[in-house]
Amino acid sequence: MGMLAWVMMGLALWHFTIWLPDRFWGGIVGAFVGALIGAVVFGLIVNGGAIPGRHATDLVTALEAIPGALLGMAAVYFQGIRRERQHGTGVAGLPRR
Amino acid sequence: MSARRRNLLILLVVAGLAIASVAVVMTHSVKRGLDLKGGVELVYQGRPTPQQPKVDSQAIDRALEVIRKRVDAFGVSEPEIQRSGSDQITVGLPGTQNAQRAVRQVGKVAQLQFYDWESDVLGPDLKPNPSDPNVTGGQSAGQAGGMPYYDAVVLASKRPPTANGGKATTNGEYFLVNDKQKKVLAGPADVTTDLTGDLPGGKPPPGTRIVKVNQGTIVVRGEKNRQTKQAASNYYILNDAPALSGTELTNVKQDFNRSGGGNGAPIVTFSFTDKGRSAWHDVTRRIAQRGQSQAAPGQPPTASFQHFAAVLDGELVTVPYIDYQQNPDGIDGANGADIEGGFTIQSAQDLAKLLQIGALPIKLKLISQSQVSATLGKQALSQGVTAGLVGLGLVALFLLVFYRVLGLIAVGALALYAMYFAALIELIPITLTLPGIAGLILTIGVAADANIVIFERVKEEIRAGASVPRGIAAGYKKGLTAIIDANVVTLMTAFILFILATAGVKGFAFVLGIGTIVSFLTAVLATQAILATLGRSSILRSPAALGAAKRRRAIRFDFMGASRWFFSMSGVILLVGALAIGSNGLNFGIDFESGTRIKTSVQRPATENDIRAVMKAQGYNDAKIQRVSDKAQGKYVFQISTKTLQPNKVQQVRNALDQRFGIGNNFSNTSIGPTFGQTIARTAVIAIIASLLVISAYIALRFEWKYAVPVLIALMHDLLITSGVYSLTGREVTTSTVAALLTILGYSLYDTIIVFDRVRENVPRMPRAAFSQIVNRSMSEVLTRSLATTLCTLLPVTALLLFGGDTLKDFAFALLVGVASGAYSSIFIASPVLTHWKERERVYVQRDERIRGENDGLVPAYAVATVAGEAVEVEPVAPARAGRRRRGRVTAPEQPDEVSPEEFDDMVADIAEETGDGAPNGEPDAQPQPVPARGNGPRARRRTSSTSTTGGSTPRKKAEPKPKGASKSKRRGGRHGRNR
Repeated sequence: MGMLAWVMMGLALWHFTIWLPDRFWGGIVGAFVGALIGAVVFGLIVNGGAIPGRHATDLVTALEAIPGALLGMAAVYFQGIRRERQHGTGVAGLPRR
Repeated sequence: MSARRRNLLILLVVAGLAIASVAVVMTHSVKRGLDLKGGVELVYQGRPTPQQPKVDSQAIDRALEVIRKRVDAFGVSEPEIQRSGSDQITVGLPGTQNAQRAVRQVGKVAQLQFYDWESDVLGPDLKPNPSDPNVTGGQSAGQAGGMPYYDAVVLASKRPPTANGGKATTNGEYFLVNDKQKKVLAGPADVTTDLTGDLPGGKPPPGTRIVKVNQGTIVVRGEKNRQTKQAASNYYILNDAPALSGTELTNVKQDFNRSGGGNGAPIVTFSFTDKGRSAWHDVTRRIAQRGQSQAAPGQPPTASFQHFAAVLDGELVTVPYIDYQQNPDGIDGANGADIEGGFTIQSAQDLAKLLQIGALPIKLKLISQSQVSATLGKQALSQGVTAGLVGLGLVALFLLVFYRVLGLIAVGALALYAMYFAALIELIPITLTLPGIAGLILTIGVAADANIVIFERVKEEIRAGASVPRGIAAGYKKGLTAIIDANVVTLMTAFILFILATAGVKGFAFVLGIGTIVSFLTAVLATQAILATLGRSSILRSPAALGAAKRRRAIRFDFMGASRWFFSMSGVILLVGALAIGSNGLNFGIDFESGTRIKTSVQRPATENDIRAVMKAQGYNDAKIQRVSDKAQGKYVFQISTKTLQPNKVQQVRNALDQRFGIGNNFSNTSIGPTFGQTIARTAVIAIIASLLVISAYIALRFEWKYAVPVLIALMHDLLITSGVYSLTGREVTTSTVAALLTILGYSLYDTIIVFDRVRENVPRMPRAAFSQIVNRSMSEVLTRSLATTLCTLLPVTALLLFGGDTLKDFAFALLVGVASGAYSSIFIASPVLTHWKERERVYVQRDERIRGENDGLVPAYAVATVAGEAVEVEPVAPARAGRRRRGRVTAPEQPDEVSPEEFDDMVADIAEETGDGAPNGEPDAQPQPVPARGNGPRARRRTSSTSTTGGSTPRKKAEPKPKGASKSKRRGGRHGRNR
């Protein structure tokens, strides 16, 4: 149940990346992967590597995914910017506008 | 074969099948499942024994054979016995109302073992002491002596394990004991989870512990009182080294004790196999000789008589003595033997049959049991039929209103579908269950969806200027790909469900799969043949008859531009869902949680507290009582939920309720053990993951891999939103919900496939357009279709929700949420994700750059061209017609001042054709370009600086006002919110 809450929270937060410039590494799908992995990994770290079961899942469990998802998406975003700078290009290897 | 002949042949086949179907329906009857007919369903899990250390496929097959023989011997008609998963067996016994007896007959291992009593029964020091009557019971062996259950279990657990030379009958057994109360709370069990799975946290409660009686030792219950038939309260510890087992018996019969001095009591007689005869002789000789050796002078010989014990499934059946004076060399088994165990005629007959058929090769643990009364079954059937008819009626009405003559043909096809399917159900035969009815009703939606996809395409073609026959031909040709893709996906999810799901859901999956195939035949082949035959008739001459008279006002909504708002809305919904999951969790039904649920009506007035009092008196203090409204069952209907009860305990509850309030025939119950719940949960997760993978692989193959990722995201979105809604509403999650979730995967994909199919089609037709423009265009073209198919699926689902029984409502609610979410996600989640991802490709980035350059840094929502200083919308180029030279694209050249001679000629040809001047040979069916000429719009000129297109291909002839979405998009800055 904990995993379901984390994934759901990660997916929920990912939806709001639509408002950000598309500079994620891998685009919107990269942001999706970052949000989900971030939410799950952070949740696991906070819970000492364990996934809270049905009875151990509470509101805090769902909230635990927020920093993870944000960090995951931020990591993908800055990696995207870094790669653009590194190659001096925008998306698809074309010159950045 | 000409098309006309082919169509006639198809129609003949269709008519022939229809006649045959009617004949089948009239001569056969529907095989109803337990939930519609009433009866008992038992689900067993195979457990290993020392003789069969692994529950493999062969062991399950042998067990199935034994069960089949037993069920046949007990005279149950039309039993359903099948393997479920790798180690489970489902036994359906229609018409059976006594679950307790069914369990006794079917699942009893029937392991009859013969022990040398005095040498195997163990004393307090865990050693045999043949001469101590306190240990053996002396002359009353099996009835006297022994110890209380708790003492026997705890003492036996201290004996170290031993295989007894391979003779041991168990691998060790577990018991849950309370040391303070000196009680055995549960057991024996083969695994600890059988004892704790039902308990909170899956752990033994405080003050209790699990003890293991090791292999080589068993605790058996004393012989029951032959007069009172009461079970014994004393237990013995035995060294588990039987001298002989039931497999060595032959000719087992029930008889009466008519030997000299016989009391006429029911007995079980048998003979021995050669091996058994020898073993029998050996053990009786050993017993006789030991008796003789213990005879003391002055004591009556009976005082030193020794015994052998017959133990059946852990209970002493009889412990007779061997008279060493009469049989000093033991008993030769040539004349067989008998067991007199205080039987009734019924129990003696049952035992004789069980022994005759043989013991099960493995242990069977009852993990789920349900009982449905015949009355409830009838009621469920009636509700299912009503829901089906209403659903069919609503879909038919929708089709008629929306598609007129085409709708009439579709309704005819639906009727054909219903007829074929009814015949198949009776012919195969398919056992019709409640979930099966749900599948059947859903396939009505599938059948109608296929028609809608085609009809919309037909209307589109006719509105674009094609004649009716050409429109029909083109509509079927173009619509078929999407239908096949969608049907294949539905079939794949149905197949995965069928492989992994439990028996009830299997029925749903099977019906869904068969229905999808049949609906494809009727909705596509039959309607095509009918329409093609009627295409030139007066009925279909007018486009108005097809609902395609007027050119529909084009939907020009900036889907991609608006997607950020819809994305945000989904984000908020999921956020709320995630918080709800965290705080409320999901309300899992007993399918997952395990437990017993009883639903019954009572005849005398009762309140929830009255029922609770009865349950408390039975020792079930934590039972949850809920009064439910079910007028068909009566005024006082209650649902009782408690921990898992064995069939005999359910019977006790039933008797208690009957005694206090009187219950009629409306008593049904379901008991799910923890193992079964875990199995269901595991298979549900596997099924969902497998479906997602298979669907992704299929989409990647049929489209391209980049199309598969948005599909996956959209499906996740649908599943999670449905979970969130379940959490928010607190609705119970059952196996039906899981089946519905998997079905949602297929349905959600239906809409996505329709949109993606059109995107795929438009990509080569709009070679200069931005991907967002292609998607906007595609969505505007298929929106009506998507909405119509969604509505058509939701109509029967709503009928299920309103008129179905409990099970059907479970399906319907999940489907209602999922299908609605699926339609929404296809348009506002999958397509935008695809757009954003595809627009990162070099070709689209370049187009984007160019379009922005031409439009003041903005990308219009729809491809536009500037004609004489006016922005006009452009339409996709139609693919080259067969038999005609493939023309080059009519596009704005990179240098707008120059138009190649070929392009100029093409433009002239297009304009001539569209204005009707150039229809080849005046053929009325000539297919025009997608943009028919209306009015005298600006003409293309050889050298022009005023014609340029941004993304599209063919400028419209008549300048139209700027598309609303386009201008809106411009005002907002275009590019739908994603900036670079």
